[in-house]
Amino acid sequence: MFILFLIALGLYLISTIFYLVFLVIDRKNIEIIGHFSLLAGFIVHFLATCFRYFQAGYTPITNLHESLSFLSLCIAGFFLFLKRTYKISILGSIIVPLLSLMFIWALSLPNDIKPLAPILQSYWLPIHTIFAFVGNSIFFVSFFVSVLYLFLERGIKRKRFSPISSRFPSLEVLDSINYRCMSYGFPFLTIGIITGSLWAGIAWGSYWSWDPKETWSLITWIVYAILIHNRLAIGWRGRKTAYMMIVGFFSILFTFLGINFVIGGLHSYL
Amino acid sequence: MPVAVFGLNHNTAPIEIREKLFVSEDAIPHLTRELKEKGIDENIVLSTCNRTEFYFSCENPEAALDKFHQTLSKYFHIQGGWLKKYTYLLTNENAYRHLFLVASGLDSMVVGEPQILGQVKDAYRFATDCNTTGFFLDKVFHKTFNVAKRIRSETKVGYNPVSISGMAIELAKKIFGELQGKKILVIGVGEMCEIAIKYFKKDGVGDIYITNRTFQNAQKLADEIAGVPYPFGDLQDLLVRIDMVLSSTGSEKPIIDKELVSFVMKKRKQKPLFFIDIAVPRDVEPSVNDIENVYLYDIDDLKELSQKHLSDRLAESEKARAIVDEEVEKFAVWLKQLDKGPLISNIYERVEEIRSRELKRILQKHQDIDDETVRSMEMLTKSIVNKLVHPHVAMIKENGSPIIIELMKKLFNLEDEDEKDVDDRHEG
Repeated sequence: MFILFLIALGLYLISTIFYLVFLVIDRKNIEIIGHFSLLAGFIVHFLATCFRYFQAGYTPITNLHESLSFLSLCIAGFFLFLKRTYKISILGSIIVPLLSLMFIWALSLPNDIKPLAPILQSYWLPIHTIFAFVGNSIFFVSFFVSVLYLFLERGIKRKRFSPISSRFPSLEVLDSINYRCMSYGFPFLTIGIITGSLWAGIAWGSYWSWDPKETWSLITWIVYAILIHNRLAIGWRGRKTAYMMIVGFFSILFTFLGINFVIGGLHSYL
Repeated sequence: MPVAVFGLNHNTAPIEIREKLFVSEDAIPHLTRELKEKGIDENIVLSTCNRTEFYFSCENPEAALDKFHQTLSKYFHIQGGWLKKYTYLLTNENAYRHLFLVASGLDSMVVGEPQILGQVKDAYRFATDCNTTGFFLDKVFHKTFNVAKRIRSETKVGYNPVSISGMAIELAKKIFGELQGKKILVIGVGEMCEIAIKYFKKDGVGDIYITNRTFQNAQKLADEIAGVPYPFGDLQDLLVRIDMVLSSTGSEKPIIDKELVSFVMKKRKQKPLFFIDIAVPRDVEPSVNDIENVYLYDIDDLKELSQKHLSDRLAESEKARAIVDEEVEKFAVWLKQLDKGPLISNIYERVEEIRSRELKRILQKHQDIDDETVRSMEMLTKSIVNKLVHPHVAMIKENGSPIIIELMKKLFNLEDEDEKDVDDRHEG
């Protein structure tokens, strides 16, 4: 089964190489190879995760190895999903290398299947984690979309263009991707938090105990809530959205990793 | 047969002359037929606003020059001596190098402009329709299309726009992506506006609104370009509804200020707004660019960017020229293979080689033959061989078509240097 993960990694790495070459040599067929190896990597990775599910008997999102692996799977999936609608090949040159690194990190961690801690033995485990992770991966992608947006916008405002920006999607497309990320990501995040809270109510006897992870996910949620509200109410677009997306992403990053490494608490699995 | 080009372009002739020698499409069949009658069998006419060129192939291009002078001076009703001053004749390597450069936009007034390739293709198609191309020009033109394609994909010589309108569209695309369905407001009815708006239309821009201080003029332009005229008083309303503004009025003072745009942006819920201000003095206050989601480019900004693109193109054109050199060399080698001069001497060499070898073998066997007989045998074999070879050579000289040349190479086993060596070893 582990071999499947390695094959997936191999495919991701091939995709990474082609996407990096694509950054330098703007040829369509290079991108196509990158795209299809990413797709193949995603499929193999998905199968590997399913196998692990059957082998372990529980949803494999219970420790850092499994979490990182699942997160990179979601990112690959969401990026491929977005690519069906938008011409965002250039984004692959950032996202694919990063998800590959994330996956390498995942595979470098202990990966043996251990019996599940009693506290995690619940049908809430798949529901809570999958929602939270899909939400996170959507915001991961939107972070980079926002960076591209700000970069391109700055160029247009200042009337100075770097050669690479000619290959970016237009401001409107980047902004609309951000909007979509927001409208998909926010419900996932919300459901992730609610299901987590319900699970906490059952497992720990209290729906909300201001555990650092809970607190930070609430902060993240508030950031995105403000963003959505302002976009719909007073037309926050473009730069403001992009900045907020970046703030939100750092908040997620801290919630996901910072808590585990820095603070600890009920959610830390290390 | 040599390939050559005769003609003039923007470097050799002023516009008055180029106008005079412009060949319209309707005139091409007549002109080519006339040239054909004069013995210039293969000819292709390329006539654009910057050049009129005749690509042709015939045995002696220098001699053809006179025929051109005659035909053209008669056709265009000009004095023959006149032509000499402005025209050029390039032959062989120089001719197809020139065509490669022309087709890839390297010989254009605006380096790298893409239209010329289409014009060359049209000229070629037209000649094919009129049946005035032949083997050599076919080869040269097909090669040319390859070279132009290669340059397009390997260099960025035609990559970025350099005209003001092209620049404005490029920027609009950076902001909005595709222009389909985008609404543009035109303020003013000047010629610049008219030109620019045509470009926008070509790129598929959606509704076009036109406003002007004098409503009648707005209406007139609107009729011309299928836009919708609005009274100038509706400006604020219009600004809420559109995506882009193209402004070129003769107003002394800005007609759009920061206050107005800030107000409009609130009503637009911050939807991006792109101002293209090509008026001098400017129509839009420069500080409008500071407002969020508003992008303002004036004529100087556009000029500066297009200058930069132009210098990028010049840098890229060096790469393109290197490709042309490389392709010219390759093509020259290929053409040389078709050359029949060397072929004929190769045939003679080949048969002489066989003849002398065979004769030598006989003489070695019969040592007792006297010198007189040897001389007679020499003469006999030579005359037989020559009589046998002569019709072939005559055929090559008469009809040097590539098929014949290929056939002769096969017949005399001259396919390839390497192959010949192998055969020799067999026989030896």
